[in-house]
Amino acid sequence: MRDDPSVVTLVERARANDRQAWSTIVERYAPLVWAICRRYRLSDADADDIAATVWLRLVENLDTIRQPAALPGWLVRTTGHECTRALRSMARVVPLDDHQPVPEEASRSAESWLLVEERRLVLRTAFGGIPLNCQQLLSMLFHDPPIPYAVIGAELDMKIGAIGPTRKRCLDKLRQHPALAAFLDS
Amino acid sequence: MVRGVADPWWNDDDQLLAAVGDALRAAGETPRRLVEIGKAAFVWRDIESDLAALTYDSAASEPDPRLVGALRGTESATLRAMTFVASRLTIELELTSEALLGQVTPFEPGEVDLWPAHGAPRPVPIDEVGWFAVRPLPTGPFRLHVRTGAGSVLTDWITL
Repeated sequence: MRDDPSVVTLVERARANDRQAWSTIVERYAPLVWAICRRYRLSDADADDIAATVWLRLVENLDTIRQPAALPGWLVRTTGHECTRALRSMARVVPLDDHQPVPEEASRSAESWLLVEERRLVLRTAFGGIPLNCQQLLSMLFHDPPIPYAVIGAELDMKIGAIGPTRKRCLDKLRQHPALAAFLDS
Repeated sequence: MVRGVADPWWNDDDQLLAAVGDALRAAGETPRRLVEIGKAAFVWRDIESDLAALTYDSAASEPDPRLVGALRGTESATLRAMTFVASRLTIELELTSEALLGQVTPFEPGEVDLWPAHGAPRPVPIDEVGWFAVRPLPTGPFRLHVRTGAGSVLTDWITL
């Protein structure tokens, strides 16, 4: 996974026992940990146990991570490892049946799957970095089912004619966010 | 606006917007407890702890007949025995059908917190000769945070 400058800052602050920095790390990467557990088709209970292990390992290793920017990759590897361990211990007890995950399938398109998750991660980080009014507007615009412009205008106290241009400006801000720029550059 | 044949998705406003929506919806599906567990894990940085290494686990090797009832001549058979070693103290665990028995060396009183994978820890007293008993048996993985005069020690995850 690519460099994201703010990861380095977050890890450094968490190392200095900044609880808020740690919480931001958790909020940011929890969806990735969850997506990996789901890909291995593990139960919610198993995902909880795996996540607990992963987070505690990270807390323990915060001081020794040599490259903070490599944190996403570390999370992917560690979570995958714990998922495999969980599968192996289940295999000992439960006969393999149809709804057991198939690890080969999991790794076959692993690269493209990971790219999708990485892209989602970057987009969320960039979204969190644009002004609040942009976040509000874009949230209403990508809502499913679509929200009529008239409703958006009323809700956000905007002229309907201003929505289109503001949408464009907000999306441009998103494109310019360092996290997205770094991702697209590589 | 003229679009090239292979215009990148991020240059197209509609596609970028859809991608952001997809990314945020994916995050919205993440169970909150995964996040809560993560945030709670930060407490481990405040605990001045030694990490205890598992040096023996009967579940990983042939059962040793000498272990049966080794701790306190218990009536229940020993189902499993484990030894955790840290620089300042040692924890020997014995699993019976109804309890997890522990012996801390050096023999000193204290307290052990049983941390489940998520949720609040369960405190258990360690008596004056370093002995403790956990009842009922924990379900799911847990860690033991053992604190006596000799030191403060954390074990790795244990699954019974």
